[in-house]
Amino acid sequence: MVGYFLRRLLLVIPTFIGISLLVFTITRVVPGGPIERLMTQAQLGGETGGLTRSQSSGSTLSDEQMEELKHYYGFDKPLLAGYAEWLGKVIQFDLGTSTRYQDPVWDIIKERFPVSIFYGLSTMILTYLVCIPLGIFKGMYHGSRFDSLSSAVVFLGYALPSYVIGIALISAFAGYFDWFPLGGFVSDDFAEFGFWQKTTDIFHHAVLPLIAYLAGSFAVTTLMMKNALMDNMSADYMRTATAKGLMRGEAIRGHALRNSLIPIATSFGNNISLLISGSFLIETIFNIDGIGLLGYEAVIERDYPIVMGILVISSILYLVGNILSDICVALVDPRIRFGESRT
Amino acid sequence: MISLLSNPVSQKRWRRFRQSRRGFASACILLLLTLLSIGAELLASNRALIVYYQGHLHFPTYGSVISGREFGLDYDYETNYRDLQTSFAAAPEDNNWLIMPLIPFSPLESDLIAGDFPPHAPSVSSKHYLGTDTSGRDVLARLIYGFRTALLFSVCLLIFNYIVGVAIGCLMGYWGGRFDLFFQRVIEIWSNIPFLYVIMIVASVITPGFWTLLLIMAFFGWTGMTWYMRTAAYKEASRDYVMAARALGASGSRIMFRHILPNSVSTLVTFVPFSVASGITSLTALDYLGFGLPSPTPSWGELLKQGTENMESIWMVGAVVTAMTVILMLVAFIGEAIRDAYDPKQFSYYE
Repeated sequence: MVGYFLRRLLLVIPTFIGISLLVFTITRVVPGGPIERLMTQAQLGGETGGLTRSQSSGSTLSDEQMEELKHYYGFDKPLLAGYAEWLGKVIQFDLGTSTRYQDPVWDIIKERFPVSIFYGLSTMILTYLVCIPLGIFKGMYHGSRFDSLSSAVVFLGYALPSYVIGIALISAFAGYFDWFPLGGFVSDDFAEFGFWQKTTDIFHHAVLPLIAYLAGSFAVTTLMMKNALMDNMSADYMRTATAKGLMRGEAIRGHALRNSLIPIATSFGNNISLLISGSFLIETIFNIDGIGLLGYEAVIERDYPIVMGILVISSILYLVGNILSDICVALVDPRIRFGESRT
Repeated sequence: MISLLSNPVSQKRWRRFRQSRRGFASACILLLLTLLSIGAELLASNRALIVYYQGHLHFPTYGSVISGREFGLDYDYETNYRDLQTSFAAAPEDNNWLIMPLIPFSPLESDLIAGDFPPHAPSVSSKHYLGTDTSGRDVLARLIYGFRTALLFSVCLLIFNYIVGVAIGCLMGYWGGRFDLFFQRVIEIWSNIPFLYVIMIVASVITPGFWTLLLIMAFFGWTGMTWYMRTAAYKEASRDYVMAARALGASGSRIMFRHILPNSVSTLVTFVPFSVASGITSLTALDYLGFGLPSPTPSWGELLKQGTENMESIWMVGAVVTAMTVILMLVAFIGEAIRDAYDPKQFSYYE
């Protein structure tokens, strides 16, 4: 089993190369890249910043300038050579320079980490803290009044995607009632606040987005927990447990509960990637300056170094998360033997 | 397939599904809403349902454009039935009449009210029961047509995803080994490609139509079902009955089709309502970001976008959020009822 997971870990490398090569190819082959953008801007006669240095005629770029630009973006090399060079830099933790901000990509991404981690961590802790007990309770008393009542709430959270809840919340409580700020992570004059004021300010801004984040994952985990527990409660080994004289509560705690944590374990590893990258939809709606919003803006602005940088981070997290999930499953379910041939 | 539907287990499940009153009622309501949306032209359209003119009946809803001259008006383009209705009402002695649909506006038509800028607030007198959007189009009409598009889209997406997902996932779980590892790599690569990013890139080259968008989403969306199916098949394949079947000399395809598939179908069917819901929500999300169906197409996401850009016109966000809540709750109730119906040992608790 250890060998299996070591092999999985090594296989991360080719997978990562596959992902990055595919997206790298898309950024190179598809029209509408940064050079085309600059050319359109130059044709419109507008100022395009420090990049187009001298605009001789003002209408289009000369061939020489085009070459210069292509060299600046690394578009003058063939695809594979360009990719190899990019990959070589990534291995040395150099993600390149943003074409939009002119800053190193890694610095820009690092700046946004605290915001995304704050939301990711709070969501994860709240979700597990509430969902597992709630799911167990709902499963044990299926059909009771509490089950039906809480089902309504859970279903509402499940049925509506978090971005719709986000839009509804911001329209109602920020746009209409004016109780909460219209997005952002902190107020504009945040730097002048005292410690206590800073804390309340963050939480005042965080209430609506956190509800939106929670609504989605909360319902899924609760339902998963409940369904798994109910599956296991009707299993034969529960009949055996009861037949040998165990109380219902003891039987569930000792037998059914452990088995019903398996589905929860299969999704545990994926929390890592959610933790960092967040939901760009919610970050867009609430204008939270996290990784998600950064990625969304980078895609719209065709800022490929940032797009690739976020891709590198999120895909490595996702790959490691998948392995982590499988390790969790193997830990909680001794019947599962990964990588052993059955035939 | 027919034997799957007519066998006693399926009939028992169907009976159990019907016994779940909430789920069955939701299914009926959703079916009704679907049928209504298929006949959306009869509910919301700027064409009259029936026109009685000079002793003849006309049914303009479906079919070609009827010129204004047909009804004694002085223009060749399509008849404006709302104006025709007022002119008929002004001359009751001619005995002409017409019946307009409940919502006398088409989803693509801008109704400009003199002296006021859209969006217009809901009002019964102007027959915009849920108001209009920023270009003066009726919100309720766009809601109905948008529902039809979204539902059709997600059902098509579901069919495609399930066919691919079941086939590949089953083989992955059953064969394991190199095949499993290879497709694990493929799935990992696939599900790491930023979904929105690819669609935005494609949208910048060609404006995606209904089927193009469907293909793009299916091309990147089949992995989810495959992953579930793999886990289910993996679990089933390590069970004792599969070993018993193998010991009896059953072939691989027999074990797959007679044992593993029927036993993992329960996982599959319980996912169907949720797949429909996720199809609707992801299409709406794409439309919200402006990378979904091309612009005049009525869609919920596009209404949401207009609503968030004009927060004082709360009826737009309100209408879409309410509609989504109703539809997605119905789908979720159906999903829960199906799950209960598929669990054969439902209430066998031991005290």
